Amino acid sequence: MKRKADVVIIGGGVNGVATAYALAKAGLDVVVLEKNYLSSGATGKCGAGIRQQWSTAENTELAIRSVQMFEHLSSDLGMDIEFRQGGYLIINHSEKELRQSEENVEMQKRLGLNVRLLDISEILSIVPVLDLKGIKAVGATFCPTDGHANPFLTTFAYANAARKHGATISTHTTVTGIKTKDQHVTSVKTSKGTIHTSWVVDAAGVYSKDIAKMVGIKTPNKPYRKEVLATERLQSMFEAMVISFTDGIYFSQQQEGQIVGGIPIPHEQIGLYKTPTFSFLRHMSQTLTRYVPLLRHVNMLRHWTGFYDVTPDARPILGEDRTVKGFIHCHGFSGHGFMLSPMVSKLLTEYIAYEKTSPILDRLNLDRFEGSNLTQEHSVVG
Amino acid sequence: MEVNGIPNVRTCIAPLLEGVAVRMQDRLASWPQNNTDNAFVSTVQDIDILIVGAGPAGMEAALQAATFGASVLLVDENQRVGGQLIKQTHKFFGSKEEKAGTRGISIAKDLEDQLCDDRFKDKIDVLLDATVFGFYEDDTEDRYTFGVISRKEYKSRLIKVVCRSVIFTVGAMENMLLFPGNDLPGVYGAGAVQTLMNVYGVKPGERVLMVGAGNVGLIVGYQLLQAGIKVDRVVEAAPTIGGYHVHAAKLRRCSVPIYTRHSIKEVFGADCVKGAVVVELDDHWNPIQGSEEIVTCDTVCLAVGLTPSTRLLEQIGVDMALVPEAGGYIALHDERMQTSVPRVYVAGDSSGIEEASTAMIEGKIAGAMAAKQLGYQQEKAQTAYEGFLKELKRLRAGPFGAKPRDAKQRIQRLWRKRP
Repeated sequence: MKRKADVVIIGGGVNGVATAYALAKAGLDVVVLEKNYLSSGATGKCGAGIRQQWSTAENTELAIRSVQMFEHLSSDLGMDIEFRQGGYLIINHSEKELRQSEENVEMQKRLGLNVRLLDISEILSIVPVLDLKGIKAVGATFCPTDGHANPFLTTFAYANAARKHGATISTHTTVTGIKTKDQHVTSVKTSKGTIHTSWVVDAAGVYSKDIAKMVGIKTPNKPYRKEVLATERLQSMFEAMVISFTDGIYFSQQQEGQIVGGIPIPHEQIGLYKTPTFSFLRHMSQTLTRYVPLLRHVNMLRHWTGFYDVTPDARPILGEDRTVKGFIHCHGFSGHGFMLSPMVSKLLTEYIAYEKTSPILDRLNLDRFEGSNLTQEHSVVG
Repeated sequence: MEVNGIPNVRTCIAPLLEGVAVRMQDRLASWPQNNTDNAFVSTVQDIDILIVGAGPAGMEAALQAATFGASVLLVDENQRVGGQLIKQTHKFFGSKEEKAGTRGISIAKDLEDQLCDDRFKDKIDVLLDATVFGFYEDDTEDRYTFGVISRKEYKSRLIKVVCRSVIFTVGAMENMLLFPGNDLPGVYGAGAVQTLMNVYGVKPGERVLMVGAGNVGLIVGYQLLQAGIKVDRVVEAAPTIGGYHVHAAKLRRCSVPIYTRHSIKEVFGADCVKGAVVVELDDHWNPIQGSEEIVTCDTVCLAVGLTPSTRLLEQIGVDMALVPEAGGYIALHDERMQTSVPRVYVAGDSSGIEEASTAMIEGKIAGAMAAKQLGYQQEKAQTAYEGFLKELKRLRAGPFGAKPRDAKQRIQRLWRKRP
């Protein structure tokens, strides 16, 4: 175990190892601490989607720039992460939703995104198996450069590349305390010894709250159990991820043929619950077969649970804490941590290695919750 | 295979009905043609005990639990009850109480008749062609919820089963060996060979190489001879024959050689088995160069042990431990067959590989104790339980009971050592 490092990153999910890679590449001495194994938390349980169509400018910008990085990530990291751009099809069910979509598309286009409104006749050319009447579709938006990647391979690719640049990744290592002096981080205590450092990145997902508490910071994040279902494999039919903000559903057909998707659990309570629920299974099967009636005779093969680390405005908390110097927040992704990871790691690295700040980091700082004017991200599914 | 426009039907275990359209799938299934509505979610509430698997242990558990008054739902993925018993055409050993001298198929029939007996009409429900696939969170503290898929006319229906107690009598999975050609048609597990011959009346091949000289390998080898199939030889990697002497002797009397310290190296053939290469092993189980021999055969039957099925138990979160003598990862349990999660029981091969005779008694114990725990006829159930314990001890007392005896003792020790 190392005794000293420039930066200690807590959490071996995709954001932790992506940041480790970027920092190590910038020449810093980095240690990643993971209490279980790499991608054992929300990363390894996620729906794997990569979307740029958001209602807030910060998320849209982070996502657009992340996709630009995803496009050459396999070659950058030297390992295929199975990135595929089949687009995201967002179904609108009402006039009100259409108007919100028009607003979103206008903002997204202003930020440079290739996105458009589809009328009802165009939807079936993208996903032919949808029952438009059954789901009461009135329109849709489509962005062809949205897509998905393999979260395990992405995490392992980042980790391998980080190690090549000299980073140390210590799995099965639990953080037990963080020491500060004059409101500045000085060391991290772990189950395998103490590491002296002046930077700590809290990328611990639903456990980020406990890490922040170690230095006396209270975060507003709340853990929500989320469930995902995968069917047996079928011949390839469509490439787009289909989502609906009204129903909260998302699903796509993976390259191997299975349909993978999720939906909010009816009557879900907040907490670290891990057991799958029957109410999800029922609700998801009923909704999915309403969208695609042909799936009525297709069996489910797997069903698992993971977490969203949710903030009050459904936007991540990023950047250095205003009171504890050297403590970097990297959590609260509210279900979108995987898709934003390339850009998040880049911004945090620029801040730590080159003292370069950015308007996005400023606006996504923890201190935004002290004010009363929060900008809510509405485009949330699952 | 695709049946009536429904993809991914396992036709090898689905019933063949009049007028069905069966089509071969090209690797990935085409999208279903048939979208007729499935009234696909139903609920079975207020069951006292869910029993998963209607083999010897599960049927006995159901009978005991119902005898003391508990209501039981017995679920099995096959078309009929009996588990492995319906393939066992040989006679059982032991004493009279353990049904010695009776054939497995007759025991299955007897237990099936008892399940259908009028006095259990309101107590035992049997759901066949259905799979218990998952444990789900529930909102009531003293109930367990399971997801069950029931198949009917190739369509699946989802059933939510809510019960107070559950007994896992799910049996075991056959072990597979790694060698070139092990995916060729003609390479079977011994269980599949028995099903084909003894249940369906289908000859698996004309000339068989049997791998493994435990009881399963020896018994199935003899049954193959009875079906008029040539058994070239039996190879066994261990230095001694694992099964009972009497089974080995039957094969030898029919001049089938048993080669110990021998194993299979590879199987050859373009699209089906044409033959196999067997090889002698040294003291460290490594193949001896130059000892290869070609066996001409069209069927390779693997009887190389069993691994307990414990995945549902693992999902529930019962304490597990690796007990090699019992066949792998085991759900730790006490003498009442209860696991570390209250009202979750295990019996038969899924609690450690043994035999049908002991599985039946374990099933009786689990059934009686689960009923007792739910408050049914506590004294009578306790008396019955004590009797079953004695029977179990007697069955495991002989020299052939040494391995399961050790395994069960180790499970008990690990059980007591739990934090």
